[in-house]
Amino acid sequence: MIASILKVLLFPGLLFLGVYSFVLEFVDRKVYARMQNRKGPPWYQPLADMLKLVGKKVILPNNAQKFVFAALPTVSLTAVVTAFLCAPVWGMQAVTAYEGDLVAVLYLLSIPTLCHFLAGYNSHEVYSTIGAFRTLTQMFAYEVPLFMAFLSPAILAGSWSITGIAAFYAARPLYVLINLPAFLIALLTSQSKLERAPFDAPEAETEIVGGALVEYSGRYLAYFRATAVSELTVMASVIAGVFLPFFTGNGAVDFALYLVKTFAVVLVMVLLRATMARIRIDQTLKFFWSVLTPVAIAQMILNLLLRGGLGL
Amino acid sequence: MGLLDKAIAWGEKKSPWIIHFNAGACNGCDIEVVDALTPQYDLERLGILQQGSPRHADVLVCTGAVTLQTRDRLKQIYDQMSTPKFVIAVGTCACTGGIFDSCYCVTGGIDTIIPVDAYIPGCAVRPEAIIDAVSKLLASLDRKEGKRE
Repeated sequence: MIASILKVLLFPGLLFLGVYSFVLEFVDRKVYARMQNRKGPPWYQPLADMLKLVGKKVILPNNAQKFVFAALPTVSLTAVVTAFLCAPVWGMQAVTAYEGDLVAVLYLLSIPTLCHFLAGYNSHEVYSTIGAFRTLTQMFAYEVPLFMAFLSPAILAGSWSITGIAAFYAARPLYVLINLPAFLIALLTSQSKLERAPFDAPEAETEIVGGALVEYSGRYLAYFRATAVSELTVMASVIAGVFLPFFTGNGAVDFALYLVKTFAVVLVMVLLRATMARIRIDQTLKFFWSVLTPVAIAQMILNLLLRGGLGL
Repeated sequence: MGLLDKAIAWGEKKSPWIIHFNAGACNGCDIEVVDALTPQYDLERLGILQQGSPRHADVLVCTGAVTLQTRDRLKQIYDQMSTPKFVIAVGTCACTGGIFDSCYCVTGGIDTIIPVDAYIPGCAVRPEAIIDAVSKLLASLDRKEGKRE
């Protein structure tokens, strides 16, 4: 009982997620800076940003619904933290694992996006409303290929839990190659879900000031920032579990492998962010619906056929 | 001062987010402000990020003498920022009104409308001067903390 509570609170639960999210945010910003040939922020920068935001005064807009305005950041952070409990960290072990947790995680990761939309809509401000509607529009663009990309490996593995999928591919490492298109789609759609360049039209600072979170300040903004960095960690962990399932069986070595895999995923996502300019929201929609979705459907059909053909 | 207050005061010094406002400048100082934000000078190593919304920012970087057109807007943007907040006046016009002082449409320097924490004279200021001013502002926060203790 006490052991499982410690697992949820300390490792590999909340404390680990918090610390590792700070590390990944630092890596994200530092590598981004090095790619632009500058020095970049010091290692404590994410912590300093967070502490400063917690200390600042919170301003509630007059015409926003106060309770909803205050509750949304907490709800979105809670959803992301809950999703992390199903990601395998120590070897193939997650804090909780059950059949269907992959779908649960994907739905939990949709909640921050909806919170962004509601936050922008509830702020009753021109820029935040535009940002809110762009957030929702982009969600309709990436959600279908995202789900298909994550469920294709699940179909081939015949399991709907992240640990089950990891166990299946760990036994048959070459089958990972079949999911290569789905892996690329998962990377691109995650980039879009996290609203990072080139898919950052919803929070375009240079045209709509900062999107849905324009009116947020102080600790509520800090919660939303914490949501964004934890979401990056959770997405990287889930991608590492589903698409890069290489395990040795030794817990500590597998944990080191987990760190290597998530770092690699984050580095690819930084590379995308640093090398591409922002594309318009209609171009995002067109790209996801006319390029990624057909590929995702093809991948799904292939995996269905292979599952019959390979006699699994 | 408790431990949390100390940590927050430390965070304040290490992460000043700026917002840039042109109160009626000739655009010379604005170009230098943008110049200071480019990878060449890399303000992010001091923790400085440019923000779009005044709600997210800590430091208001103002250029130019305040004209009658921008007077109310400057006040409004200052009021929209959440405390603790600081103001830097960039350029001679922002400090005193410069050659536009006592013009029929000019109120004067930035400090005729809102309190200013740091002045950077120059026409136009150099990006190095802006970086110097920001780091001196952060150092003065240190001294203010000392007084509070």
